[in-house]
Amino acid sequence: MSGDDYRFGRYVPAEQVPPAPKRVTDQVVQRFEHVFEVDPERMTRFQQQKMPTWDTRRIVAARWDHLDAVHREFADEVLLAGEGPDPGPESTQDEGKGANE
Amino acid sequence: MSDKQVTQAAARSEATTTTDPEPTPSTSGDDTTPGRAPDDHGPRGSNGDDRAVDLAMPHLGQIEQAFVERWHENATGCFSSGHKFCREVCPVTQVTRNENHTPTAFHANVIGLEKGHLSVEDVADDYVHCTQCGGCEVRCPNTLMVGDFYRARTETVKVVRAMRAMLVDKGLDREKWKVWNRLTDELKNEPVLGVEGEQPNGQAQVRDWAAGLDIPIGGDTIMFVDCEAAYYRTSVPRATAQILRKAGVEFGLMNEQWCCGGPAAEMGYVEQSMRFARHNVDDWRRSGVKRIIAIEPHDYVHFTEDYPAYFGDEFDFEVVQIIDLVAELIRDGRLELVKPIERVATYHDPCRLNKRKGIHEAPREILRAIPGLEFRDVDRVTQWSYCSGGGGGLPIEKPEITAEISRRRLEKASELDVDLLVSACVWSERPLTAAGDEAGIEVRDIIELVAESAGIEVGGRTRA
Ligand code: SF4
Ligand code: SF4
Repeated sequence: MSGDDYRFGRYVPAEQVPPAPKRVTDQVVQRFEHVFEVDPERMTRFQQQKMPTWDTRRIVAARWDHLDAVHREFADEVLLAGEGPDPGPESTQDEGKGANE
Repeated sequence: MSDKQVTQAAARSEATTTTDPEPTPSTSGDDTTPGRAPDDHGPRGSNGDDRAVDLAMPHLGQIEQAFVERWHENATGCFSSGHKFCREVCPVTQVTRNENHTPTAFHANVIGLEKGHLSVEDVADDYVHCTQCGGCEVRCPNTLMVGDFYRARTETVKVVRAMRAMLVDKGLDREKWKVWNRLTDELKNEPVLGVEGEQPNGQAQVRDWAAGLDIPIGGDTIMFVDCEAAYYRTSVPRATAQILRKAGVEFGLMNEQWCCGGPAAEMGYVEQSMRFARHNVDDWRRSGVKRIIAIEPHDYVHFTEDYPAYFGDEFDFEVVQIIDLVAELIRDGRLELVKPIERVATYHDPCRLNKRKGIHEAPREILRAIPGLEFRDVDRVTQWSYCSGGGGGLPIEKPEITAEISRRRLEKASELDVDLLVSACVWSERPLTAAGDEAGIEVRDIIELVAESAGIEVGGRTRA
């Protein structure tokens, strides 16, 4: 999904103003598809930064790329939230160190 | 400059992220007074927030006080997390193994200063140990996992730059940086050919690289040629200009191109950086420029982060990174790569493209389009911990660390059994080339390769 077709190599100043937030729940707003943001009103101590569009998109793309890399490296199978139930292996007694103490 | 302005220079943030919830990319920007950062905001609590902590510590001078107030929150965000995911991606930490050179330390020192446990003098040299690669920031979970959710991320690079600005304000700046920036101020370009004796580094030679190419001055679109490319690796701007011409892209050069001012900002010379930026923007205006092609990643960062912070809404230029443009030209069939390059190559993700700007797909697309080239890739996430050591002024003050970072990068390339390491950042190519000589691996710029595959006789030079 890296970048979601966003062109990180093009900087157009007018495009850097993030869209106005739309309320999703009483604690969460949204400016970009699939990108949720804590209600800015709640950020009273650690204040929000003036984050241009490219930076939000960069962080989101980096996160997906990082997750992909971690999955490649460590996962036998990747389960996504909301996917159908996976029965998993039949449960057996855990014989690992410290188990069943 | 008044004391107040000096203080603001020390505390300033060089880029567009500030603690302002308004959805605008920059502030009004009509104040471009040297040393005054237009995106500065007052001390915490000045907006009437009575929950803000009173940070006024009797042991801190005015400059340190402003620095601590500006960076308290970001530093606390790190200090209270302290998970050090950043540690092993940091190219300097990998080499020095010194805890004082870790991104964590750069934040912890802000707290240390605030609490009176250390002085600026104690940590001045530590803050030289950073290439401003951005690896720590992107790997930090406070950025990677929640930066978009809280709309606030870890800002290590800005903390380092602000500390360096404070060192300049306090007269504690490093000797070699002082010389470098004094010469840059005199020459209007960086002394990339050497700081000793007479070097052909100045304005009189700034367009020598273009000899015989007959490129016009001004126009809608200009190509900005950074100092290392203009004077040192002249094959890169020559290759770029000829590729663009071949693909039918119209462009010109600046009337009077000064250094972009980015390196000065990286080393803490904020007033100089802003003055150079002002000159360049005025030059663009005079020529009716609307679009800048940045052929070098550091310039792209500077034009898209620092210039908007310096000038606010006045900065309305489109900036195009050359790799994105060349990938598009190839994709659209406007540039044909016909000549096979029978080499086995890997790609070095330049930090400012990959980690700081998220540009990593376009260079891979280009390399896969070159006929004959066997491309052995290493993914962009693994490369968050790779660097050449060539950025952030490190090679000027600590060339031995830069050399070791580059040596390790070539060691990684050797493991892939390649005979070519391709980069897309001219500043990385000098230390990488030196390390490549030792490792028996050639180092080339991606645009040089594209030009060769397009059948262009580039000319210019790749080394001194
Ligand atoms: S910079 Fe981020 S990863 Fe590193 S210690 Fe601080 S909070 Fe943790
Ligand atoms: S920006 Fe790069 S060199 Fe600087 S502290 Fe972070 S990881 Fe290390």
